Amino acid sequence: MSEERKTQNSERPSRPRRPQGGPRRRRKVDFIAANHIEYIDYKNVELLERFISERGKILPRRVTGTSAKNQRKVTTAVKRARIMGLLPFVTED
Amino acid sequence: MATSYELTYIVRPDLEADAKKALVERFDGILTTDGATITKSADWATRRFAYEIDGYREGTYHVINFNADNDDAINEFDRLAKISQDILRHMVVKRDAE
Repeated sequence: MSEERKTQNSERPSRPRRPQGGPRRRRKVDFIAANHIEYIDYKNVELLERFISERGKILPRRVTGTSAKNQRKVTTAVKRARIMGLLPFVTED
Repeated sequence: MATSYELTYIVRPDLEADAKKALVERFDGILTTDGATITKSADWATRRFAYEIDGYREGTYHVINFNADNDDAINEFDRLAKISQDILRHMVVKRDAE
């Protein structure tokens, strides 16, 4: 597996995606799928904190790279955690 | 077929240990008398809240896992937990077979 990744990250001259001088895009990974998390427990605050912003808002899929299916699970879990006082609804500066 | 549920409630932090034990036993009893079978009932943690709840900044979370065939036990628990001054908040979620 590490072999595969190495070849992907190494500099390849014929890579069409990155424009000249543009920022190098890191491939986003679905954290839930990558760690094989079947059930997202709303009490798992450390996990859910990855998916909320500093202000306490749920981050969009395009930022976190979560799949649609898992994003739905994350959303439910975050909302449950908010009701039980584990996560904030809003965070004032 | 019995469905498995997970129930979490928050106990007031300034409750004495004896009173808390009695409270936990009482609410376990409420579930079992209405036909639920408890598989696990334990304190999870005492945590600070993300925001103030009923004038408290922290509380003890108690988690119960149980199976039930109908919603009698849940409804009765819900009714009494709402009345109770010592339970700040509670939530029942369905847990599919793991």
